[in-house]
Amino acid sequence: MKTEIVHNGNQVIAKFIGRLDTPAAVQTAEDVKPLLEVENKEIILECAELEYISSSGLRIFLSIRKEAAPHGCKVIVRNINDEIRQVFMMTGFVSLFDIQ
Amino acid sequence: MVVAAFVLEGTACVQYFASRAAIKQESMERAASELRKAELEIENHAVELETAAKTLALLVEKSLDNPDAVGPATRLVVQTIRENTSLAVAFVPGYYPKKGTYYEICSSRISEDSIFTRQIGSAEHDYTQMEWYQCGLMHDSCWWSEPYLDDQGSKTYVVSCSHPVFDKDHKVVAVVCIDLSLDYLQRVSEYLQIYPDSYYSIHSHDGMAIVPVADTVPGRKYYIFREEIDATGWHLEIIIPDDVLFADLRRTGLFITLLMLLGMVVLAFILIHSTNTAKKLIASTQKNQRMESELMIASAIQTAMLPKIFPPFVDRSDLNLYGMVDPAKEIGGDLYDFYVRHNKLFFCVGDVSGKGVPAALVMAMTRSLFRSVSSREERPDHILTQMNRDFAEQNTQMMFLTLFLGVLDCETGQLDYCNAGHNAPVIMTNGAWRMLEVLPNLPLGIEPDCTFKSQHVQLHYGDMLFLYTDGLTEAENSMHEQFGDQRMLKTLTDTAANGLMENGYSPRHLVETMKAGVETFVNGAEQSDDLTMLAIRYQIPALVMRNDIEQIPTLAEWLEGLDIPAELKMPINLALEEAVSNVMLYAYPNNHGQVFLEFNRTDRLVFTLTDNGIPFDPTKQKEADTTLSAEERPIGGLGIFLVRQIMDDMQYERVDGKNILTLYKKI
Repeated sequence: MKTEIVHNGNQVIAKFIGRLDTPAAVQTAEDVKPLLEVENKEIILECAELEYISSSGLRIFLSIRKEAAPHGCKVIVRNINDEIRQVFMMTGFVSLFDIQ
Repeated sequence: MVVAAFVLEGTACVQYFASRAAIKQESMERAASELRKAELEIENHAVELETAAKTLALLVEKSLDNPDAVGPATRLVVQTIRENTSLAVAFVPGYYPKKGTYYEICSSRISEDSIFTRQIGSAEHDYTQMEWYQCGLMHDSCWWSEPYLDDQGSKTYVVSCSHPVFDKDHKVVAVVCIDLSLDYLQRVSEYLQIYPDSYYSIHSHDGMAIVPVADTVPGRKYYIFREEIDATGWHLEIIIPDDVLFADLRRTGLFITLLMLLGMVVLAFILIHSTNTAKKLIASTQKNQRMESELMIASAIQTAMLPKIFPPFVDRSDLNLYGMVDPAKEIGGDLYDFYVRHNKLFFCVGDVSGKGVPAALVMAMTRSLFRSVSSREERPDHILTQMNRDFAEQNTQMMFLTLFLGVLDCETGQLDYCNAGHNAPVIMTNGAWRMLEVLPNLPLGIEPDCTFKSQHVQLHYGDMLFLYTDGLTEAENSMHEQFGDQRMLKTLTDTAANGLMENGYSPRHLVETMKAGVETFVNGAEQSDDLTMLAIRYQIPALVMRNDIEQIPTLAEWLEGLDIPAELKMPINLALEEAVSNVMLYAYPNNHGQVFLEFNRTDRLVFTLTDNGIPFDPTKQKEADTTLSAEERPIGGLGIFLVRQIMDDMQYERVDGKNILTLYKKI
């Protein structure tokens, strides 16, 4: 599992690559910490190469979402695969994120 | 001229060394083959005695409430042993208050038709101080004594075989003991003396020389061949001095002729002896044994020999077996047996021609042959060819038997099998039952030199085998209709299809349903033949994980090997990961432990998660509320929620200090 963060003008793009399972979530939670500090920007969670996500990964997404509003940020989840979309449906995450 | 001489000399040299190598090779093969014969003879004596001891123990167990039934039981069993011997049943002191403190019933056979039975326990003859009694008490099954000199009776070396007798609460209440005179080793020696100047020896497992070896000469080179007897732990050795082996190559021809003659004499000796034994056995069977007691003995032999603890392999999750013999009124010689060696399952089902004690004895012998031959050979055709040869050598009663033998490689799933005239088993692959193709090999015991051909089939996790004897397919109702292959196949298919969920593929459920099916079919008609069934299921081994989150990626690898629809793999992976990490988090707060995950496919996918941690019921966990807004939602609580969403059912049990969580998914 790899996480890459790129700042691009008004956007911050976090790119997730691989399987975000329980053991991987420990490192990923560290990797996304900069996102929690961002203010007044669009945070894009790029999931084209995210193969799998478990509840610990969902927790990371939720914590980013929770910090975003008070910091004046908007969170967009991009290019999730069908299986992960199913998980977002089950957990009600579809209504928490802007999914593109 | 010189060249010709060189060529001649060279040829002679080559010939000399070739002959030398050939002689060495030949003697090695001979030694190995003679050792095997000797081993088989000793092993057979041991098995015969063990069978008698187990049989007597069972007979005593059945009538523990009657101390006077012990005498007749000892008389019955002493008659089934082919040599004159004595046996005893000694009870723990004071077991029968009316019989005094010491109660030991002893039966000795002096000659073919005179048997002495008497009570010999007393304060003077305190058997509780004797080794055979003390060791018999401590061992769960047969215990063999070291050989000792019987200085009171026969003045020959004797070994004893002890076996405990249990009451209903599995408490030892008595010890059975049978003596075996080692006189018969004289006969075995004939095999071991393979050259006039070679030596041989037999040592007990503690190193005592039963047949001591002559002193070896320092500086002389020896070839030593060795074999161990499984039952008694004895070692046999053939020792051939180097110079004896190669002393005179020219004499080899004469030598071999001489040896062949010797072999023929030995063979003639065995032939005469075995014919006598057969006559003796038949005579004594006819003369002495009433129908009813014969039934008891035959049934006890059958019960004593077959594996009857199910499930048999507690440490293997990849094999599930269940077998049973339902004896007819007049008992036959049905058998099944199985064991695992080198991660391979060796199993067989057979049916001996004939009925009663003779058939039961052949059955016991077959089982011991199966165990001893397959302990060094893995190919079913080789095992059957060797078993057939050995069986023919000892087949004193012109009996034969049909046998199906299989060797399942648990690593690869390949099943090698060989069928000696037995009913074709039924196999289930991809959820469908069909008869297994079998080649028409002869039954065992008909043609000593015939070779057997084996076949193979690839099994996958979840596949099953169902083996049986003709007591199943030829079971008749009162209209003389037979149960037949079609009803058997239909019962198997129906059981698996309507099976009570995962039970449909449980070997035990399958065998029990089949038995009930036959009983309904015959509708009270008397059962004329033994009914034997053995069901085997080859299943995916359980995933074992240490209590460590880092182990979770092994879950995905394990799932790859399972037979589940592709579109379900990701969601199931997710549900299992959530369940497993939950257990790791809560059931093992700080100590080390393991998590076991098993898979079964029935009409649903069934996953069973087991751990030895503190009691923890994940089904009681608070669930996430998915309708809340991002601000209101707590970070956690999603794990078990996902399990519930993905799976169709989830059940928790606490059994024997284990948490068992079962997850079901419809397909």
